[in-house]
Amino acid sequence: MQMAEVKQIEGKNVEMNSQPKSSAIKNEEKEIVVKVKRFSPDKGEWWQEYKLKVDRFTQMTEVLRRIKTEQDPSLSYRAACHMAVCGSCGMKINGAPRLACKTLALELTKEYGSDEITLEPMDLYPRVKDLVVDLEDFYQRMYKVKPRLYPSEEVLEGKAEHRLVPEDQRELWKFAQCIWCGLCVSSCPSVRNDPEFLGPAAHAKGYRFLADPRDTITEERMNILVDSSWRCTYCYQCFNVCPRDIEPVTTIKKTRAWSGKMKDKTKVIETGEKHVNAIADTIRKSGKLLEAEVYLRTYGLAQAMSDMLFMLKSGRMKYALIKEVPVKGLNDIEKVMNGGEQ
Amino acid sequence: MEKLSYDAIVLGAGLSGLMAAHEIGKEGFKVAIISKVFPTRSHSSSAEGGIAAYIPENSDPNDNPDYMTYDTVKGGDYLVDQDAAELLSMKSGEIATVMERWGTLFNRQPDGRIAIRYFGGQTYPRTRFVGDKTGMALLHTIYERTSGLDVDFYSEWFALDLVRDQERVKGVVAMEMKSMMPVFFEARAVVMATGGMGMLYRHSTNSYINTGDGYAMALRAGVALKDPEFVQFHPTALYPSDILISEAARGEGAVLINNKGERFMKRYAPNKLDLAPRDIASRSILTEVKEGRGFPGGFVGLDLTHLGPDYIKERLALAYEAAKSFSGIDATVEPIPVRPAQHYYMGGIDVDITGTNHDLRGLFAAGEAACVSVHGANRLGSNSLLETLVFGRETGRTVADYLKSTDKPSSSVENAELEKMLDEAYLFVKSESGVHFGEVQNKLRDVMWEKVGVFREEKGMQEAVKEVKELRQQVTKMYVNDKSKVYNTEFFNALELRNMMDLAIVISSSALNRKESRGAHYRLDYTQRDDENWLKHTISYLRGNTVEIGYKPVKMTKWKPEPRVY
Amino acid sequence: MKVAYYPGCATHGLSKDVDIATKKVAEVLGLELVEVEDWNCCGGGFLDEKDEDAHVALNLRNLSNVEKMGLDKMVTPCSVCLGSHRLATYKYNENKDLRKRVDKRISGTTIKYENKATAEHLVWVLVRDVGLENIKKHVKKNLNGLKVGAYYGCQMLRPEQIMGFELSFKPHSLQDLISVTGATPVMFPMATACCGFPLMGSNPKGGLKLAFNVLNSAKSSGADIMIHPCSLCHLQLDTLQDKVKSEFNVGWTLPAIYITQLLGLSFGLSPEELGLGNYAKEILKQKGVIQ
Repeated sequence: MQMAEVKQIEGKNVEMNSQPKSSAIKNEEKEIVVKVKRFSPDKGEWWQEYKLKVDRFTQMTEVLRRIKTEQDPSLSYRAACHMAVCGSCGMKINGAPRLACKTLALELTKEYGSDEITLEPMDLYPRVKDLVVDLEDFYQRMYKVKPRLYPSEEVLEGKAEHRLVPEDQRELWKFAQCIWCGLCVSSCPSVRNDPEFLGPAAHAKGYRFLADPRDTITEERMNILVDSSWRCTYCYQCFNVCPRDIEPVTTIKKTRAWSGKMKDKTKVIETGEKHVNAIADTIRKSGKLLEAEVYLRTYGLAQAMSDMLFMLKSGRMKYALIKEVPVKGLNDIEKVMNGGEQ
Repeated sequence: MEKLSYDAIVLGAGLSGLMAAHEIGKEGFKVAIISKVFPTRSHSSSAEGGIAAYIPENSDPNDNPDYMTYDTVKGGDYLVDQDAAELLSMKSGEIATVMERWGTLFNRQPDGRIAIRYFGGQTYPRTRFVGDKTGMALLHTIYERTSGLDVDFYSEWFALDLVRDQERVKGVVAMEMKSMMPVFFEARAVVMATGGMGMLYRHSTNSYINTGDGYAMALRAGVALKDPEFVQFHPTALYPSDILISEAARGEGAVLINNKGERFMKRYAPNKLDLAPRDIASRSILTEVKEGRGFPGGFVGLDLTHLGPDYIKERLALAYEAAKSFSGIDATVEPIPVRPAQHYYMGGIDVDITGTNHDLRGLFAAGEAACVSVHGANRLGSNSLLETLVFGRETGRTVADYLKSTDKPSSSVENAELEKMLDEAYLFVKSESGVHFGEVQNKLRDVMWEKVGVFREEKGMQEAVKEVKELRQQVTKMYVNDKSKVYNTEFFNALELRNMMDLAIVISSSALNRKESRGAHYRLDYTQRDDENWLKHTISYLRGNTVEIGYKPVKMTKWKPEPRVY
Repeated sequence: MKVAYYPGCATHGLSKDVDIATKKVAEVLGLELVEVEDWNCCGGGFLDEKDEDAHVALNLRNLSNVEKMGLDKMVTPCSVCLGSHRLATYKYNENKDLRKRVDKRISGTTIKYENKATAEHLVWVLVRDVGLENIKKHVKKNLNGLKVGAYYGCQMLRPEQIMGFELSFKPHSLQDLISVTGATPVMFPMATACCGFPLMGSNPKGGLKLAFNVLNSAKSSGADIMIHPCSLCHLQLDTLQDKVKSEFNVGWTLPAIYITQLLGLSFGLSPEELGLGNYAKEILKQKGVIQ
């Protein structure tokens, strides 16, 4: 019997002659049908089908590259890094906004239970050709938030030095990883609904600088961002589709928290602040959200009275009178709520 | 053809191009950046590990710029111009600090200063990083900064060719990809910051967009490439996307296995095993695959499973996540499929340490497109991001000085000359039959990979030169199926292939010419470094169908060549 | 089967009928709902914007109470309560800095979360645990002929990486449940769009527009009535029918009822037992589903 020789590699014991636990890399192959919604200004729109074999490792960018080099060179799409850092290959795959590179063909056929995969250009943006869209509207949204650090003159001249604690770096870096792919904006309902809303990506970018202690134009940033932040409807689509997990909606929530520092508040900010303050206060008071009180404090008595009509019509006026029991463990609630007072 | 006038044109909007444009614009000159992709989509964004920087007061107390230069020179197998490496080290701390001031969110130490870590080939740790997305972080910072300046961006514009007269550069012809409208960008200075050329190889960690356009444009304008035979390969790229799996994986205990589950590195490097250097590991993997012990598809396994899920997720997060997202592999239960892939191009447009090219007045280059000779025969990890910024800035400053002392050229450019460039490009669209770009491109990538790749030898490279010449001939008869006049990517792919061909002939001929092994240039028939005959730079020109090869001495300051052993 | 039941504030308030119908239907199905001991508000989807750590801590308190009851599944009929709890545990597990702060915040309280209890949507438990076949067995009154819009809304589906029950761009749980009753499920373009409720607190005009988009989309696709999985969608889409009518000048109503109200009808329960609202009663009468 042979003794296994053990070698120390950076603190980890690795048995030199032992067989690795798993030695096989299993693969499988399948023919799929890719249906592409094509478009050109002179020919209009049409669907085209391609058949090809993929295995468990095949990214959708590779599917596209193979279609283009082996079957149909006229198909237009954007792709560059194929590792989800350049943001070029945003498109709708089986109806969902995704990066083609971060989508594995075979895995997708399993998830959707179909060997047919559809590819369409992103929604919202004007189509240019096939899967290529014009992202100008997206870029303009980004430029609106002044997407760059404005450090102090002293630092720029080398007379002072930035320090940033690791906790702040981690918090900011999470939100700074937007790759300008446009997926979130293409699927955002508030962008369509409200021209005053900057859109999720711009909010993530804007917040990343608003919250950066090294930045100097805080007031200007608040004026750009805060009103818009109250125009988001919290549908979580941006969180859902972001390929870098930057959670734009989280930055919108965090931006709202800056409302208290605003000098001139818009109506939207004022209403929103009243609403959320009322929610926090009723929770602090009873551990529960007291709808009637929140309603009254947000909209005032006149609006509440007129809305009572709708309540009556729908037949739920009776529920407005329910008195919900407060939480017994109010001690916990108070401790938790008050620990957070800024 | 419509004409737009600038003082300077920068081709490419990656780190070096943006940095150069920043410096030129800052001096009040009218500068435009032309890029075939939106700036943040440039390949700089793919750089993972970090940027090497010696920052006084924030480095290992034993470290100094001389150690850094030494590491670079030795890593480059002494084909490094030592004055360039010295400059790179001297400016490294300053450039990292500048990027921090502009907003880069470097990882931090508890006291708030920039953090630091080791990278391969460093005597002392000096790599600064932003998680595992350092390139992306730096690229975004500099784009954000530059987009706030008076710099004109022409994103998704494809540059066709340089325009020159007998002695100096006159500008660039480029085409808007969306409208296919050609424009002559007239300028006194042109900076080539067009990045690398990974698409020449069947397997590459590079972006799809790295087709060597700048090298080819320079060659066609009569400008030389320096050391074009030096192409870096990385042993462990994820199959099949070729996304880099960092060497850290093997450092942390991952082992390479073949289809029999055997740790084959014990055959090739009995002592160092899986920690053998990049070139040895690459050659070993390819040998296993060649001899039938690879997995179907041509890869081996990088096995982490014995390390346990917690250890893997904690210490090898990047490798774990890349395998999961891009290959669907759970590295805690099965090996990661890997194979060697082209990674970086040390060769490039011949420039001095100011970024100036001496073949064509008014032409400059920076970044991977340039060969300043800081990387020599083999680039050290963390030095590529550093080079783009340091030499991007040096070049930008050189251009600003050049513009201050240079008048506009007296002669104007004949429209006929410009139309001729356009006609040559449109040839492919006008022809009604011939070969498609995809066919030729796949053949080219195979030839380069098989015969001018990790292993090289006389016969194979002779064949490669011959085959590349034949393919280059075919390309003149290329046929573009799509006649559309908006965003015709087939047309641009055809033009890219033309560029790849011009570069491929130069690489293969220059590789055949160098009869030694040095750094990334490994020959089975000349396995040793030969300082007596080959300690010199290759200087290659493309003259029609032939490659004219000359030499330049390597600049030495303090460090005499010694064997490269680790 | 016994699960912890988290109604949430709206379900115990203006959307009380969701609570009434859910309890009745659970009883029929033999699904034992045990109300979470001394539960508190999840933050209503808003508290986190004021105080992220308090939001996480409050949600952990509910889950910690579930663990103390010896249960590990906390089911809620409200998508916002669901999202709130699942986001809280996600953040608590993923964000080390936040976890440190929250741990500090809850030290000295009775909150002690062991990462065992998770929040689940009532729909998931119905489809996966109770089972469609099982539910079918209780259908006494086939709702054949009724066209029911399947409205998913937001937080039962999104973010998919945190909800994870079904594909957010191709869900089918609600169509499946509608089919069980014999009614015809109607999918419509805005089936997973936002109802606009969260916007009512800051930009009511915008919020109402979103509600109209959803109702109009379902109506145009031929739905008689719509079901949804959320006590706040309930408030928005049902209560505001007349407001939408006058604001957008439309001549129709499209009542929105909770999923268990539809199931209850097919189980033969009366409109009163299910707490059905006026708009729904009217349409269902017209369609002959109820007397």
